[in-house]
Amino acid sequence: MIKRLPLANTPKIPLARYMKEVKDSQPVAAMTVTAPSAITVSHPAEASGFPRRISLDEWLTASPQQITEITVPAGYASAEPFRVTGPTDGGGLLLIHVGAGAHVAFQERWASTGTNLGVGVLVDIGEDAQVDWLTYDGFQANMVLASRTAELADRATLNWTLAGFAQNSGATLINVNLRGTGASATVNVGVLASGRQHVGYTTAMTNYGRKSKGHINQRGVIVGKAHLIFNGIGHIIKGARGSDNQQENRVLMLGKDSRGDADPILLIDENDVTAGHAASVTRVDKAQMYYLMSRGLPEALAQRLVIRGFLEAGLLEITDKDLKADLFRQIDETLVTTDE
Amino acid sequence: MSTLEIKDLHVKVKAEPEHPEILKGVNLTINAGEIHALMGPNGNGKSTLAETIMGNPRYVVSQGDILIDGQSIIGMAVDERARLGLFLGMQYPAEINGVTNAEFIRAAINARRPDDDQIPIMDFLHQLDDTMAQLKMPEDMADRYLNQGFSGGEKKRNEILQLMMIHPHWALLDEIDSGLDIDALRIVADGVNSMRGNDFSSLIITHYERLLDYITPDVVHVMKDGRIIESGGPELAHTLEKTGYEHLKAGDGND
Repeated sequence: MIKRLPLANTPKIPLARYMKEVKDSQPVAAMTVTAPSAITVSHPAEASGFPRRISLDEWLTASPQQITEITVPAGYASAEPFRVTGPTDGGGLLLIHVGAGAHVAFQERWASTGTNLGVGVLVDIGEDAQVDWLTYDGFQANMVLASRTAELADRATLNWTLAGFAQNSGATLINVNLRGTGASATVNVGVLASGRQHVGYTTAMTNYGRKSKGHINQRGVIVGKAHLIFNGIGHIIKGARGSDNQQENRVLMLGKDSRGDADPILLIDENDVTAGHAASVTRVDKAQMYYLMSRGLPEALAQRLVIRGFLEAGLLEITDKDLKADLFRQIDETLVTTDE
Repeated sequence: MSTLEIKDLHVKVKAEPEHPEILKGVNLTINAGEIHALMGPNGNGKSTLAETIMGNPRYVVSQGDILIDGQSIIGMAVDERARLGLFLGMQYPAEINGVTNAEFIRAAINARRPDDDQIPIMDFLHQLDDTMAQLKMPEDMADRYLNQGFSGGEKKRNEILQLMMIHPHWALLDEIDSGLDIDALRIVADGVNSMRGNDFSSLIITHYERLLDYITPDVVHVMKDGRIIESGGPELAHTLEKTGYEHLKAGDGND
């Protein structure tokens, strides 16, 4: 019997209030998938495989704007990422099945417009499969509720980076369930919050399997009047002996009206485990600023470099040079706009 | 052809206004082309002097002035002073993630040049390669993040690399010899010596005569209890090496 939670555990994030908003539900074009032919893509009318464990799942699965289902066959191997891009004007559901032993990389990108978007993503990873997953959220919508879940079977590994560079308010839930023995996952999150954005990230890493390993690393920069909340939930279920759960949540505030929270939560129901957390909410490092400026860099440029460096720790795993350049350009543009 | 003048300089830590001054009336003139060494026991204000000249916001000038060619610079921010030609080789350089060494040095060079005359990338890379080779620095240090994970010696060498790339008029070098083995010391000293000329002056802070065997100073000063208590030629450093600082008392100075 699996324990079920009626409401997602998202401290300080007003999820229930967001869910009172009417979700955009007019049908939109399906997601664009650029992938080799071995990978199959379909658009079922019903997302039967999508979990309905909490009230947010109900909100997301009610009249989804589109459904995209992708299957990576067992034994598939390619380091070249396939791409999935969200519709220009809507949300929807995305299911990705990764077969046993597959080695696969993919990029999931969103820049959708809209009023209140619901985005649900489920990635299930078969035994011994290895997955590199890059999520790039650049939503232009007013409000977005996004829930992404990864399920890992025995010895499966996941290396997931989420770049949150969107304009919307709302909440993002990241759930990694280490179901199998020896499953291991790292989630890196880098968020740039600006303007009057009010955004929350709850990243939950749950060890079910023995000797499973899960690491969370979240970095956020807040400018203007934005408010960013990072929750990290490390949960070790009874029976997950020999498992490891670590998390680090760091927030850098730039504006005098910026607000930031970093809340680590550890729930440990097993003795024979290792777990740890670190969290901080800070302002720009004065020693770094002084050093850069002592070489003649003007204050605004020095600040951009320090911030880029701070976020870099969350975006470290992004090897796509174009994407990284794009993220750095956005950091620069956001800070220049804020300077004015 | 520029002169750096320190006049009756009194300095406190900004966050500790109730504490006594660290510098209690320093007088010092460095003419263009001169190399001065500043020696003296720990905790007597040598680093504070260098940091205050550079404009570290941690310190506040409570009396006196710092002048470049007769113009006061104490109202200037640290980056303005840098663009004017001041450089501080730091004792503890900051580590900055996400910014490569090469990218940072290029930004520092370009900050001194007009927007329509930025250094061409190939010129920059050639200069960087040559200078790093001169300092016997491995090539990959250009692409590593600024000081991130550098050893003590690598950091010091990296300070000298920046010095040689930026070409400042006045270099304040704060214990640039600490943590260096004898070979590295010689390389770093050669780097500083290669800068010597009419357009370059330096204030070198050190505890040890050893560095001054490689970089011969024009003037040696001894600082104690926030004042310069003795100044002399290069032979003063040799004398101090034998006698130590103990016998020198604040107030015995000739300045």
